[in-house]
Amino acid sequence: MRKRTLPLAVLATAALGLTACAGGGSGSGDVSADGQTLTVWIMQGTNPDSEAFFDEVGSAFKKETGATLKVEYVQWADAHDRFVTSIAGNTTPDVAETGTTWTAEFADAGALAPIGDYVEKAGLSDDLVEGLVGSGTYDGELYGMPWYAGVRSIVYRTDVFEELGLKVPTTWQEIIDAGTAIKAAKPDMIPFPVPGDAEFTAYPWVWGAGGEVSELDGKTWKSGLASDESRAGIQFWTDLATKYNLSSSGATTWKETDVLDNFVQDKVAMAIMGSWTPATIVEKNPELEGKFAAIPIPGEDGGISPSVLGGSHLSMFNTSKNKDLAFQFIEMMTTGKFASEWAEQTGYFPGQTSLLEASTESDDPLVKPFAEQFVDGGASLPVTPKFGAVQAKKTTNAMIQAILSGTKSVDQATTDAATEMDDIMNGK
Amino acid sequence: MTPPPVTREAPASRVAGGPSPKQHPKGKLFSLMRSRPWLLLAPALLILAVLLLWPLIRVVLFSLQDYGLREIVSGDTNFNGGANYLEVFSDPTLWTVVLPNTVFFAAAAVIGTVVLGTLVALLMANLGSFWRTIVGSAIMVAWAMPAVTGTYVWVWIFDADRGIVNQTLMGLGLMDEPFNWFTNQFTFYGIALLNVIHHGFPFVAITVLAGLLGVSKEMLEAAEMDGAGAFRRFFQITFPSLRQVFSVVIILSTIWDFKVFAQIYLMPGGSGSNREVLNLGVWSYVESFGQNRYGFGSAIAVLLTLVLLGITIVYIRALMKEDEL
Repeated sequence: MRKRTLPLAVLATAALGLTACAGGGSGSGDVSADGQTLTVWIMQGTNPDSEAFFDEVGSAFKKETGATLKVEYVQWADAHDRFVTSIAGNTTPDVAETGTTWTAEFADAGALAPIGDYVEKAGLSDDLVEGLVGSGTYDGELYGMPWYAGVRSIVYRTDVFEELGLKVPTTWQEIIDAGTAIKAAKPDMIPFPVPGDAEFTAYPWVWGAGGEVSELDGKTWKSGLASDESRAGIQFWTDLATKYNLSSSGATTWKETDVLDNFVQDKVAMAIMGSWTPATIVEKNPELEGKFAAIPIPGEDGGISPSVLGGSHLSMFNTSKNKDLAFQFIEMMTTGKFASEWAEQTGYFPGQTSLLEASTESDDPLVKPFAEQFVDGGASLPVTPKFGAVQAKKTTNAMIQAILSGTKSVDQATTDAATEMDDIMNGK
Repeated sequence: MTPPPVTREAPASRVAGGPSPKQHPKGKLFSLMRSRPWLLLAPALLILAVLLLWPLIRVVLFSLQDYGLREIVSGDTNFNGGANYLEVFSDPTLWTVVLPNTVFFAAAAVIGTVVLGTLVALLMANLGSFWRTIVGSAIMVAWAMPAVTGTYVWVWIFDADRGIVNQTLMGLGLMDEPFNWFTNQFTFYGIALLNVIHHGFPFVAITVLAGLLGVSKEMLEAAEMDGAGAFRRFFQITFPSLRQVFSVVIILSTIWDFKVFAQIYLMPGGSGSNREVLNLGVWSYVESFGQNRYGFGSAIAVLLTLVLLGITIVYIRALMKEDEL
């Protein structure tokens, strides 16, 4: 009989692991009222030298307000869990960097404090980047202060294009032409990888063809993935792999990080990559410096195909004891000197329109095209916590991967994905 | 044969029901002695109750609610009857993809792990101490490797563009175009199987070896003298005396292989983008925690616990004789 207790213990431990997500997290995090300390969570890795940056911010903040700034760095990978456990344990920071897709989710849960009034009082309402205000607004209230954002465009190898005498593509057909030429001349290179586990590389083609991911129709969300326009876009994107053979069989299961790794290893000629990647590419493979540039994602017959603006808000939590102080910090970070310094150091674009305009005037071949995409071809995904659930279920990724691996036709895959998206976004 | 028990019982009952004057002090002492083990166990039991029992109860409570981020923030309960359980059972993905993948994979992995582990243990039992140490350390390396590291090694070996398997097959002219092993349900689980067996067999080998060294050499020798072959000696002498060891390694392997998560989630396409390869672990994660539906996730956890308990009971009954229970 004694043996039975062993598996029981194992199972119970497993169950404990599951509940730990919901039950843990207590202790630190409370702001002491007398010392006036502001606790802030910042994601690690965005700025390679964030400690020096926040030392400077901290002393400026102390000078201005007399309060001490306490910055805690959080890894992107476990940030969501940490937010959830701290929300459960009432130990949230005063202010935190929240990914643009999380802000609505935490606002919906009732963890964030609305900041619309503060923004208006500060006279900033008209000086914030629209796409980021959209993703920071939930139920008509602004919860996320636009801080910084990036955008995905096409990064290509200038040396390869020059060597083969190719023209930079400005239409979809020209992408196929350039890719085919590279395929013929350099069989070891992947002309244009189509990653099967990277939804953000698929949306530009949906929008570029005139389709929609999901739209609110009255009170119900309706996915546009199965519309003729969206299908045409998805057909083009997956045809690059299945019909024109410009991708690789490995790319069927690639994530965006795999695209980056292969680009760094000199294996990729063109790819959809973020405005934050050029610094990493040069850092990992200095030989590529000066050998690549970016272009906005072309529209079907010219123009720009829209791409998702992804970035971070600064959000204020309900647990913050001194909300005026918290907003003072938010304003300091997201406007003026510190906002532009942050953007410069990280390679992202600032969330303040007047600062953004300075970046768009840049001549850098690795900044200007992204800025163009950002301003003229920026788009946002549906702002609802339910879309987070769609992303967690990998509805779009599963659609692309099924087409790439040949298990479903474009029509079948898009119909299935649209049904699943509607079920999640309207139900439960 | 009846008289001796009677004579043995008689004095015992006389002592137990003995003279009354002694009962007071002795009774106190007696009850103290009886409760002493429990007193000594109390701290451990209390900790177990807090650490294991309470979370278990919470999981069951959560499983009966529509419990999400909003409920975590507000601290409110939100009972929805058995809706979570109903949803689990009415999801076609569970029956067509998730359960078959999980059950067949677990069965194959348990059989593979136990058979390979036993063979290695038999090999080691027949080696001298020097070579036994060498083989033992070699398999320990496989065991000590973290699951994440091991998974990535296998992923690289089977990488479509640069993996050694595809390059070898193409170099030998057996394949014209690189094949992505992770897009097909069967090749995907073939790789996962290699990974899990490779990581799991050392535990079986070491445990079985410990048991093997205790098997009576005389009996084996006698059987050999009587002309029993190696197979017959294993199945009629070694295996019966290792019954309990096998029941432990099989039960533990079943539980581990049923719940396998990291090894699947980290493989290309395994985190939900390839729907054909979902198993119970990944499916429940994607459906519940990925979407902040903790109630639904708890319902799956409760069901998984019940299933594994059921399997364990069946195993114990099958592997042990009635009187050993």
